[in-house]
Amino acid sequence: MAFINIQNLTYQYPTAKAPVLQNINLQINEGEFVAVIGANGAGKSTLCYALAGFVPHFFKGEFSGVVEVNGIQSSQAALAEWVLNVGLAFQNPFNQISGAKYTVFEEIAFGLENIGVEREQMKSRIEAAMKLTGIAELADRSPYSLSGGQQQRVALTSILVMQPKLLVLDEPTSQMDPIGTREIFAVIRDLSNSGMTVVMAEHKMEWIANFADRVIALKDGQILLEGKPNEVLTSDVLAENGFGISRYTSTAREAQKRNLWKKDSLPVTLEEAVEGFRRK
Amino acid sequence: MNITISDLHFSYAPNVKALNGISLTINAGEQVAIIGQNGAGKTTLVRHLNGLLKPTSGSVSIGDWDTTKHSVAKLASKVGYVFQNPDEQLFSKDVLTEVEFGPKNLGYKKNKIDQLVKRALELTELTGKQETNPYDLSPTWRKMVALASILAMDTPIVIFDEPTTGQDFTNITRIANVIAELKKTGKTVITITHDIDFCAENFERVIALSKGQVLLDGSPREILGQEEILAQTYVDPPQLTRLGKKIGLQETVITPQEFLKALAQRAG
Amino acid sequence: MYIARASGLHQLHPLTKVLLTFCLLIAGLALPGNWTSYLIILLVIFPLSVWGKVFPNLLRITWLVSLPFAISVILIQSLFWGTGTPLFEFWIFAPKLEGARYAVISLGKIILVMSDFLLFSLTTRPDALMIALKQAGMPSSIAYIIVTTLQIVPSFQRKGATILDAQRSRGLETEGNLFVRAKALVPIVLPLVLGSLMEVEERAIAIEARAFNSRQTETSLIEIPDTQLQKNFRTVILIVMFLLIIFGILWRL
Repeated sequence: MAFINIQNLTYQYPTAKAPVLQNINLQINEGEFVAVIGANGAGKSTLCYALAGFVPHFFKGEFSGVVEVNGIQSSQAALAEWVLNVGLAFQNPFNQISGAKYTVFEEIAFGLENIGVEREQMKSRIEAAMKLTGIAELADRSPYSLSGGQQQRVALTSILVMQPKLLVLDEPTSQMDPIGTREIFAVIRDLSNSGMTVVMAEHKMEWIANFADRVIALKDGQILLEGKPNEVLTSDVLAENGFGISRYTSTAREAQKRNLWKKDSLPVTLEEAVEGFRRK
Repeated sequence: MNITISDLHFSYAPNVKALNGISLTINAGEQVAIIGQNGAGKTTLVRHLNGLLKPTSGSVSIGDWDTTKHSVAKLASKVGYVFQNPDEQLFSKDVLTEVEFGPKNLGYKKNKIDQLVKRALELTELTGKQETNPYDLSPTWRKMVALASILAMDTPIVIFDEPTTGQDFTNITRIANVIAELKKTGKTVITITHDIDFCAENFERVIALSKGQVLLDGSPREILGQEEILAQTYVDPPQLTRLGKKIGLQETVITPQEFLKALAQRAG
Repeated sequence: MYIARASGLHQLHPLTKVLLTFCLLIAGLALPGNWTSYLIILLVIFPLSVWGKVFPNLLRITWLVSLPFAISVILIQSLFWGTGTPLFEFWIFAPKLEGARYAVISLGKIILVMSDFLLFSLTTRPDALMIALKQAGMPSSIAYIIVTTLQIVPSFQRKGATILDAQRSRGLETEGNLFVRAKALVPIVLPLVLGSLMEVEERAIAIEARAFNSRQTETSLIEIPDTQLQKNFRTVILIVMFLLIIFGILWRL
């Protein structure tokens, strides 16, 4: 039995005229790192909310089908219980600051206080999480005094520190600098290697290709494609449907037409591109 | 209209230097990308260009206007500034009214306003959405409304603060088109961005900031290949630049066209 | 709004300060005498703020916030006070001595309320307050709402400053006469209100995602030192408050 099991999920927001997710079927194994791609409005965020339990619990609306994580159906569980296993961080970092805390260190403690972690353990968990995401030196700063990218790291750390079984991330690096983004992807990859399941909505194809196990392409609320990054991200279907792809893939496709790319499959990562373009 | 920045220092609080001696000249019609790590001072720098921030020491001039001698509202006739978050500026009942707000503030004549607004809506592909309430649009389109509302001001200088953040492929293409169009009409464009491939393909000058100072300044080809120096400010070279280096292309390539050309030459 | 300082006032238990704040408020409003509020401001609140090393901040913010009230109260009194000893006449304004007196007295109450709450928020850490309230048995959702409401002024200031910058960048004049400023209000206030409404939803999701409604017994990162002396002091304040209220009612009968 898969760790995440979504069956026939269709969902419509209360004030919407049409469903934003339609008949989604998806199985994800424990420890998998799955990236969700798609245009804005394709349903990425809603899928994240559905996994995190906020659809339907928080948003209400018309929900049908099954979202099951670790053997429990979201519709059967209380949201307060659900979030103990499923962590969510989303794009706008400013709105994720609790507003009740004075320093970054205390901000990150917010969730641990809520689940009753003892003080000494709390401190060591926060320190470890901050070290992981590279924000140890921000500990005593006010969360409001940080730049957008730094706030995003704080938002991510605030969820990581709670050690969820499933980590749901909706464009968590959008405001981070390029190398910072790569570092965060690497951290998430490590977490997934150590058993945490990760579902991440993202646009940054190069890092998805490098770090994710699987890619799900959404279009108009439906799954258009799913599979390994090098299958999905090189598919003609993706290009035809207006998805952005990495320069490695798009340039190799051009090169293929001019007979400058000789391999059958297109590259998605730097390494694959180097492999194919290197002079033999 | 040239921008002259000389020995600009700025501190938000005593002992916390955000900008540490920046001197730059940006000529009329240049397309400049500003890159660098979170907290490098990018936003602080561009906020000096329309007077939102005033130098702690040093000076900033737009044409012959010293920014300390003119109000932000006056400088707005020379420098348009597209903020990162559209929701921090949208307030009108419909898109048309929103886009008219800027040019009206600048005191343009009615038919000039009508022309500018029409053009701005076309460029941002908002034609047909004039009567929609901005808050009924998706965040992606709200971003375009904010963009249009600045374009309609027809300023010789336009600043974009991370325009591609959180945008999908289609919208990034739209924004690139807007920038290309501004270039054609001789406007100066200054854009803060973390998207280095976007930077490589749409700008003719790149300024890399680090810790409140200029780390590198030059054409994308000169700047974006310097992997080790860029790493100091947490920036990777563009994808194809890294690829070109690794497969041993002689010159630094930054765009797909250049890469394919170099590849073809190598193949003979 | 909190300002970190090493002071005895800062170190007091948040509940002690909560009770003290209410006690001063009740004293100012319940005790007889027209000038009681001014006496409390001058003799209690200002000295306490000196002890808490926030006197200049308190003075500055109280001044800034009270000014619009002062102007409107004085304006209204000089326009509409009926009969009495005229002070002077100018155009439609004819302030009377009695009206001016009344204006100054009511202003005292406004300044008392403001400086009293300011003293509290300048010297009390929001998170410490939240923990103290929860420890005193208040449900965490209510404690959270109280604490974030206290933060609403700085949060509006931050947001408002960005919106102001965005609109000035679109050529909006914000400096100048009253008419210019009034015209600038809509483009600034509307995004502030709409933005805050959207923010509320996302913030609710963010704190829920961090197990805010979990049924586990909560813990706290920081310790809030309390002493027997302070506990006794709080009992005394409670009794004083009770007596003040009784006295206030009896005196008015």
